[in-house]
Amino acid sequence: MSVQDTIRQTVTDNPVVLFMKGSAQFPQCGFSARAVQILAACGREDFVTVDVLADPEIRQGIKDYSNWPTIPQLYVNGEFIGGSDIMFEMFQSGELQTLLGQPQQQ
Amino acid sequence: MVTPELVKQYIEAGLVCTHLTVTGDGAHFDAVIVSPLFSGKRLVERHRLVNQALAGRLGDEIHALSMKTLSPEEWAEQQG
Repeated sequence: MSVQDTIRQTVTDNPVVLFMKGSAQFPQCGFSARAVQILAACGREDFVTVDVLADPEIRQGIKDYSNWPTIPQLYVNGEFIGGSDIMFEMFQSGELQTLLGQPQQQ
Repeated sequence: MVTPELVKQYIEAGLVCTHLTVTGDGAHFDAVIVSPLFSGKRLVERHRLVNQALAGRLGDEIHALSMKTLSPEEWAEQQG
């Protein structure tokens, strides 16, 4: 399976996926740490994180997948939502809570 | 080292802005960007326009850029 297929499968098999640097417990970058905090503040505890530092192919592959140059990247129900700035603005407006409260679309 | 002034020049060169401020320490930058091209667009689309203006420099030469993207109408409202 190609890296792009692996990524596609990860974001479609899991309703909420955060590609980040480090783990949710030990983020390796301030922006990734903020993204985890925002998801936690939305009350979602079932999100999956992928540590891009653990796999150079995923690290580059996720940037190609979304055509987005930076990490973290949030995916909800297979759709690319944005990075930590967008997550924060959507959290402030309540849009993110609404999005994360929606049931998974099969 | 990349300066905030240089980041500002990069953005201005690739995107029509009516207001632009960039601050930063050489690795992490903060930008407030006001562009008529943002009107009616979602945040993710606005950020993509800025990413395009930076033409591959973001995530590479520029480690990280936090951005506020506003249409001229939103900016005027914020200035109140």
